Amino acid sequence: MKLSARIALAVLLWTGTISAMHMSLNVDWSALMNDYVPEQQRKFNVAFIPVTCHLTCPVTDYISRQSPAGNIFLPRKFQGFPEIKEALIANKIQAAFIVAPMAIALRAQDVPIKIVYLGHRYGSAVVVRKDGPVKTPADLRGRTIAIPSRFSDERLLVFRVLKAYGIPPEEVKMVEMPPPDVAGALAVNAVDAFSMGEPFPSQAEMGGFGRVLFHAREYWPDYMSCVLVVRQDMIDRRPDAVQALVDGIARSGLWLEKGLPYRESAADFVGRFYYLQDPALLRWALTNPLDRVLYTPLTPFKKDFDIVRDLMIETGVLDRKIEFEQYVDVRFAEKASSLNAWPYEPGIGWVQ
Amino acid sequence: MKGDSIRSWERYVWPLLAVVLLLLFWDAAVRWSGTHVFPSPGKVQRGLLELLQKGLFFQYVGDSLFRVASGYLLAAGLGIPAGLLLGWYPSAAYTANPAIQMMRPISPLAWIPLAVIWFGTGDAAAIFLIFLSSFFPIVVSTMTGVRNVPPMYRQAGRNFGLTSAALLRRVILPAILPQILVGLRIALGVAWLVIVAAEMLAVTSGLGYLVLDSRNAGQRYDLVVAGMLLIGVVGLMMDILMRRLERWKSVRWGFRYET
Repeated sequence: MKLSARIALAVLLWTGTISAMHMSLNVDWSALMNDYVPEQQRKFNVAFIPVTCHLTCPVTDYISRQSPAGNIFLPRKFQGFPEIKEALIANKIQAAFIVAPMAIALRAQDVPIKIVYLGHRYGSAVVVRKDGPVKTPADLRGRTIAIPSRFSDERLLVFRVLKAYGIPPEEVKMVEMPPPDVAGALAVNAVDAFSMGEPFPSQAEMGGFGRVLFHAREYWPDYMSCVLVVRQDMIDRRPDAVQALVDGIARSGLWLEKGLPYRESAADFVGRFYYLQDPALLRWALTNPLDRVLYTPLTPFKKDFDIVRDLMIETGVLDRKIEFEQYVDVRFAEKASSLNAWPYEPGIGWVQ
Repeated sequence: MKGDSIRSWERYVWPLLAVVLLLLFWDAAVRWSGTHVFPSPGKVQRGLLELLQKGLFFQYVGDSLFRVASGYLLAAGLGIPAGLLLGWYPSAAYTANPAIQMMRPISPLAWIPLAVIWFGTGDAAAIFLIFLSSFFPIVVSTMTGVRNVPPMYRQAGRNFGLTSAALLRRVILPAILPQILVGLRIALGVAWLVIVAAEMLAVTSGLGYLVLDSRNAGQRYDLVVAGMLLIGVVGLMMDILMRRLERWKSVRWGFRYET
């Protein structure tokens, strides 16, 4: 065989082999085929990032997959909020868990989405170095604090606390960082503090270098951070599918509040199959104490969102007053309010 | 010979025409698709004006240039001597080459977590990333340059009784200058390429930061594209300046010029 023919054959074999391996090992065929089924049967792509604020998303997927009715949607893991925002604008995903101020800001910028449900309550904290100079919130003056995004409740939380201590916001430097990076940055002194959702405060605590300066609820009763948003065209065309999604999340929230064994089970399967984090870390965040993050009540209330919106205007990330009804659709949450937890028992499985 | 009969005005008119056509095509494509997300050239221009009015335009360009210049000069200052050394002593090259060739293809993006651990957030980490990206091209081009100097040059130098230092300074260095210059030009291109990644590191100014910051700001894709265009234009200007250096008398023999 000539050399050129041998090279051509080798290239062909190589491409064929890796393509076949890719298709058998990596491609999720059910997700791929989802784009080709009739629209009314198509499943939503729901974006989440590996934080406990979005825990109900993988919990719902895991439990519903074992139910007789099968999975409700296709969970899509992202690493940060800007990517989710872009996928949402481009209609590559139909629903997503994002920080509430980002949802409000996107709606104010005429992106066709609505908030239909909350992701959690509490579960954010400001963390400082254990042996560092910051002992009380008053010491935050002149420090650098990492936040997940300018459109985050974690940032607004810092503003609220600074106000309570009479510190002008200009005296604190806030830097936006992808959530998975903050614990490392704190450990090496790159930042003096971070304001983040779980499990990153737990990560710093478990690592032995971080100390929770305060939890969100100490300065913000009824604190909420991440919300579930759905594209408006899906709400209009497929309200039943949106309802199924909200129902699933609601059932998972109730399930997670059934007690310690349920939370430990969630930490285990979410850590191993969805977040790819050490289950011990999630267990710490979910059980230390049990009400560190709460998953009920998740119905959006006007007064909670008014606080967020007004803080956004005050801190310069929203330029006009937008009303609750313009960015929230409470119908689905109301219908989901009479549901019960999933009939699913850790270690046993689906019980009917 | 007067080139391939390219008249002097043509050297400017045709490229300009190409740019204008591209802008028209871009504008038409945005109109035709009816997109509300992707910005039109007019929108990008308004975004640029907004940057000028806020006084951010020159600040961002200046900060990015500062970071690239620092990292790049550091890389050149360490890379050229290192390359000379490795080229001069073959055993050193054999020893170090596998390590260099292994480090070379690692994207600066992959270094980000370590850069934060070592240098924290801010200018130092960004400069480190730019240094890394331009250091290896400079070392490798200098090293190969020294190794490819015809042995006859060295022997001739020795016959004239030159010491090693004088041989390096008066024979080897002039012989490899054109090649060093090529390496420097490639490295500068790479250094500028890395600016977006380098400015991911929690710095709060610069063109890379402008792109990322506008991305984080919701629907400000006009500023994203404005940042991209500025990076392109500054990169073009730097390349033109580098090319000017090739006309320098000491290296001109290494490049093909018509006159």
